[in-house]
Amino acid sequence: MPMTSRERVLATINHEEPDRVPIVIGVSNATGIKMKPYRGIKNLIGVDAPDDYIYDWPELGTALIDEVTMQRLHNDVRGVLDLEPESVREWNRQREPHSDYVDSWGSGQSEIGPDDWFPNVHPLPDATTIADLDAYEGWPDMNDPTRIAHVKEAAQRLADDYEYAILATPWLLFPFERAHAMQGMDVFLLNMIDHPDFAKALMERIAEYCKQLMGHFLEELGDNVDIIKIGDDLGTQKSLMISPRMYRRFLKPIHADFISFIKERTSAKVFFHSDGDVAPLIDDFIEIGVDILNPIQTNAGTMSDLPTLKKRFGNNIVFCGAIDTDQVLPLGSVADVRAEVRRVIDTLGPGGGCMIGAVHTVMNDVPPENVLAMVDAVEEFGQYPLR
Amino acid sequence: MSSNDELWDAIVFAERDKVVNIVQNAVDTDADVIELLNETMIPALREVGDQFSAGEVFVPEMLASARAMQSAIDIIAPLLEKSGHKPIAKVCIGSVKGDLHDIGKNLVAIMLKGSGFVVDDIGVDCAVEDYEAAVERGAEVVCLSALLTTTRDAMRPVADHFRDRSDIKLVVGGAVITQEFADEIGADGFGVDAADAIRAVRECLGLPGSAA
Repeated sequence: MPMTSRERVLATINHEEPDRVPIVIGVSNATGIKMKPYRGIKNLIGVDAPDDYIYDWPELGTALIDEVTMQRLHNDVRGVLDLEPESVREWNRQREPHSDYVDSWGSGQSEIGPDDWFPNVHPLPDATTIADLDAYEGWPDMNDPTRIAHVKEAAQRLADDYEYAILATPWLLFPFERAHAMQGMDVFLLNMIDHPDFAKALMERIAEYCKQLMGHFLEELGDNVDIIKIGDDLGTQKSLMISPRMYRRFLKPIHADFISFIKERTSAKVFFHSDGDVAPLIDDFIEIGVDILNPIQTNAGTMSDLPTLKKRFGNNIVFCGAIDTDQVLPLGSVADVRAEVRRVIDTLGPGGGCMIGAVHTVMNDVPPENVLAMVDAVEEFGQYPLR
Repeated sequence: MSSNDELWDAIVFAERDKVVNIVQNAVDTDADVIELLNETMIPALREVGDQFSAGEVFVPEMLASARAMQSAIDIIAPLLEKSGHKPIAKVCIGSVKGDLHDIGKNLVAIMLKGSGFVVDDIGVDCAVEDYEAAVERGAEVVCLSALLTTTRDAMRPVADHFRDRSDIKLVVGGAVITQEFADEIGADGFGVDAADAIRAVRECLGLPGSAA
């Protein structure tokens, strides 16, 4: 008897073989689909659904996938997201056309082309002292109830259906990336060298706000959640952005504390998103309680070595993602996509612990045919026992 | 000719104030700044680049060393010009149309300056005309940077534009760029990271990959 999607995901994240490899797509930004390929998919499969955006945030550009399309994508998870405070959303709706989008932290994006927004609004570029942080008046109000007013009902509805695993993602509660947003990436990275105590204090302060919102969010979810998504991009194309030593000194304690905070409040698994080659830190992630690692960027350095990843870490962490968005999905043929899905499943799939999705967002350069080819190939090659 | 070990270490360990002091002192005492540049500053920054390529130092350390180097170059640049010091070549660099990412591009620009090139940094979101204007200002090498799969194709019209200009060399780089892509669009060089970009620029000018 086939499993429900939820049973499939739960077996997988408990390192058991389900009936087939689960599919995770379209439930957050990093697992999401941009508007152009979403429109293309709807067109291909004959679905008439509105062009809505996740987080009610058009400038992010990531589509809110309708339920019919979700089912056609054989997607085994459904998302619950938070929202920016209603006052911030309203301000952004009313602002001058083409002016900067600004979020509840004071960071934001500028328009660089049609439907193309670049994150370069940084409210604290010159801050170098804790006094500068104290003086900043733009810290977010995480107690604003309009952030999470919809969460309880949304999660309850999914739980009542009992069909899909629930993956919940409050937007960017990522201390390192949020610090980049507050200062600019190069400015913050230099501050890690020039003003290490300040850099640590900034991330710790950010983490306190993250915990505040996460606490409210988890309270609303109650037991109606299977997976909580957090993260921080730590890798580059070839290696890590910061040294393992610097990660362990500055950031690992913050991530560990955040994950403990989550696990004290929910039995949901912790899904950690980190782009690039983060293989040197996977033991650290396991140690601090990460259950699921995403996106397994297979074109980045040692993340390409899937057999070694599976062998070294496969018993202790679940891999989610791994279908390349650099070459295979945007540039490959349908046959290339199918071959890549098969390769990834054959390597990461045995014994469970593998969920398939795109490496980060399906961007606007991906043909919709390739998205369908990806999920159909999982249906075809992902049946257990694997052949 | 000999290297200044103190300055070398100060660049490698990104001690900007110390770098500035040593270089300013050299200028004030009429020391040979060309020797300082060639024997100490360039090889010191190359050492950092090599460490970065080898995964021994990471982005913050590389940025900090490059910034220290930039401070030193700012001090000696007027003297180099006055002394008739001949740069290797003039190079322009910019992130392609639609791409506002500039950290990698800036690193390569500083590495190029630190390696004896004159650099015309034309910024981000650069159109074909921006690169053409830089060539008209004397650039012999055009360096293109792109971080995203959705912007790498903006390299193609630039490559097409300079295709028949055998006197202009095109070097490409950025997270999503590969040797295969560089070959496909007909680029003369590809740098896999900041240090490697310097090798690519040198080689497409017929120079050995690293200065002697």
